Amino acid sequence: MNSVFAIAGLVVKELQRRKDFYVLFVLTALLTVLLGSVSFFNAENIARYLKDICLLLIWVSSLVIAVTTTARQLPAERENRTIFPLLAKPVTRGQVIAGKFLGCWLACGIALLVFYLFFTVISASREHVWHLVPTLKAVWMHWMLLGVLVAMVLFGSVVFTAPSSNTTICFIVIVGILGIGRHLHRVALDQPEPVSTMLSVIYFLIPHVEWFYLPDFLVNDQNIAPWTDCLMASLYGVAYMAAFLIAAWMRFRRQMLSV
Amino acid sequence: MKAVSPKLILFALGTVCFALATLLQPRAAQWGGRAQSDNLVKVFLGEGRRLFANHFYTQADVVLHSGYYPSIFDQARRNMKSSALSGDSDADHDAHESPGETQASKENDKHDHESEHEKKMAFLQEPKDWIERFGRKFLITEHTHLSQDKESEILPWLRVSAELDPQRVETYTVAAYWLKRNGKLTEAEQFLREGLRNNPDSYEILFDLGRLYSENKHEIDRARNLWTLALARWNSREAGKTEQDLSAMEGIAVHLATLEADAGNHDRAISLFKLAMKASPHPEELQARIDELRKHTSPQP
Amino acid sequence: MENVVQLKNLRVEYRGRGSQPAKLAVNNLSLAVHAGEVFGFLGPNGAGKTTTMNVLLGFVNATGGEARLFGVNVRDPIARQRIGYLPELTYYYKFLTAEEILRFYAKIFGLTQSESNKRIEALLKLVELTEAAKRPIKSYSKGMQQRVGLAQALINNPDLLILDEPTSGLDPLGRMKVRQLIQRLKNEGKTILFSSHELGEVETVCDRVAIVDKGELKVEGRVTDLVAQYQCDLEKIFLNVVGYQPESRS
Repeated sequence: MNSVFAIAGLVVKELQRRKDFYVLFVLTALLTVLLGSVSFFNAENIARYLKDICLLLIWVSSLVIAVTTTARQLPAERENRTIFPLLAKPVTRGQVIAGKFLGCWLACGIALLVFYLFFTVISASREHVWHLVPTLKAVWMHWMLLGVLVAMVLFGSVVFTAPSSNTTICFIVIVGILGIGRHLHRVALDQPEPVSTMLSVIYFLIPHVEWFYLPDFLVNDQNIAPWTDCLMASLYGVAYMAAFLIAAWMRFRRQMLSV
Repeated sequence: MKAVSPKLILFALGTVCFALATLLQPRAAQWGGRAQSDNLVKVFLGEGRRLFANHFYTQADVVLHSGYYPSIFDQARRNMKSSALSGDSDADHDAHESPGETQASKENDKHDHESEHEKKMAFLQEPKDWIERFGRKFLITEHTHLSQDKESEILPWLRVSAELDPQRVETYTVAAYWLKRNGKLTEAEQFLREGLRNNPDSYEILFDLGRLYSENKHEIDRARNLWTLALARWNSREAGKTEQDLSAMEGIAVHLATLEADAGNHDRAISLFKLAMKASPHPEELQARIDELRKHTSPQP
Repeated sequence: MENVVQLKNLRVEYRGRGSQPAKLAVNNLSLAVHAGEVFGFLGPNGAGKTTTMNVLLGFVNATGGEARLFGVNVRDPIARQRIGYLPELTYYYKFLTAEEILRFYAKIFGLTQSESNKRIEALLKLVELTEAAKRPIKSYSKGMQQRVGLAQALINNPDLLILDEPTSGLDPLGRMKVRQLIQRLKNEGKTILFSSHELGEVETVCDRVAIVDKGELKVEGRVTDLVAQYQCDLEKIFLNVVGYQPESRS
């Protein structure tokens, strides 16, 4: 486990040292504050609009951080040839995959905490109420979604040679699932065969990450599902993370690495 | 060949760019009016801004329903199922208030509207499988509306929508309705006037502005002028159309007729009621009012 | 004498892509490296020496035969517990400092905080990077990066060092320092397996050499014995073994 944690620590340090996170955070904060300063019809305490925009920016930023950070991990190790001294140590390829995943997921978690802290402050400044429990639930679910995404991108990075194609495909897949994932089986009903069967199979195969997308609840002050349901959904997410990681490991362990 | 100095090349290119700019600038100003627009959003987004405007307009409705809102798939399914119901989500605002209705019919139809709105918003079907059933736990499934003190939450979206598409008339009328409900009469008037500046032919905005003067500010003369102008605009815009916006005409005519009747101009009121009868779903109601007016105007035996 | 590296009938075949035929990179290679010796692994480009090293390090799986490190099959990660590896032309994590890189590798070997502190300090001194230890790697010259590579290869105080072209791309001073370092490690009783094209360098520091060509072992033995046997220096032996024919003067 030493190796896994060491590799994970390295990834977290990378996020800390790179400028991506800071740029996205400053951009989010700046846009939110800027839009928050606009007065609409002299109405006071308008919060939902601001919360909506802030959460949208947080979601976009988190997806960008998760995908770009993860997609470059293994290709960069190969390109810079650091994978060789690493694998020449008593480290298995499975540990490399696990470490990279853990690092990216943790890095995303830290980024999320910072982003949501900002959101909570902005939201409380407008509403004069601390919605701590719903925010915590939303952060947890958001983190779970990023876990699935990170595992998916990691798998993509051992399948696709170019990080850019991996990034693009993963973005399309995740945004596609968030947008139409829950409708696929009903869309399938209106399609002729074999499209109908194909869509149904896809519906049951894809990770339904739309469950983890809860900004609507936060914006509209709605009650988020109880913790038990959130944990059940988390288990579902963890199963997909494991599936993607195992697939990534199976592919990576067979790859020949030539110096 | 002697090498040309890079500085000289740079200077030559700069001169060419400057010359081309002076040559092309007057032409560019004629290309769709985009470059000469005084609106920064229009300059950046061009006509694509209308797409965003529509999104933000719908977003206001989503906020009004506290996040409970049909997706495009739900809407498409609903439209397929019931062609009788309007599939346009934008029409939901009409369920809250249809400007073209008479006060009496509004009272009568209020319950119908609410039940129709409930029916329209019952877009969630029985879950088909465990994924959908469990997924519902993470979906807003309760149809609620914002409480009165929170209604102003929809205003930013309408403001942004109007900013992106100033030619979208319903943005002004809907926003004015909610502003009036929240007692912001000055802001409602200003916003409607802004809408009128952007859409000088809009009888809808003229009508709403008239209502604001009539119902909220009790400035009857201004209301009369605005509704008369609205009726004239309706005639000029809708004349010759195969599918006319009759409900709007009915609304304007009825309101103006009522105002004229109250002012004692019975003949004018009767002719306006008659005009409204052509479009009204409740002509008998209007006929009764005409009869009543005639009683007042006809000489006593 | 203990065999630190043991290759028996090693065979590596790369599968051809599409219509390309399979390529036999290593064929029936058997050799042993004994504890405490400096072993030079020589051959022209494409001879199979890098592939052989890749098999030893677990980067490539052998198609046939056997490869062992300290008697443990190379497929077992524990076989790499006692080795240090310096790859050719590696660009270490640019966002880290030399000290942080060494700490990262120390963590992988499970060294305690105090152990790694001591080890890092000693290694930075050994590779003369103490003053630059807290500077990010991206500001290092090529020679400095190579020295970071050497330090990371030594972080676990390995019994076997595998060096792939350790002096490649270095200036004469850098080469001399690396040579001195190898000599020093040899004096400490380390086993060193290294590949190089610098035959003069190999002749200076190696106890034994193996020359491979077209995936097969051509010559193996003590440098002094080979020089005596062929009556010429190592460079000529190498050229002779790989079948180089100098153009005759007209």
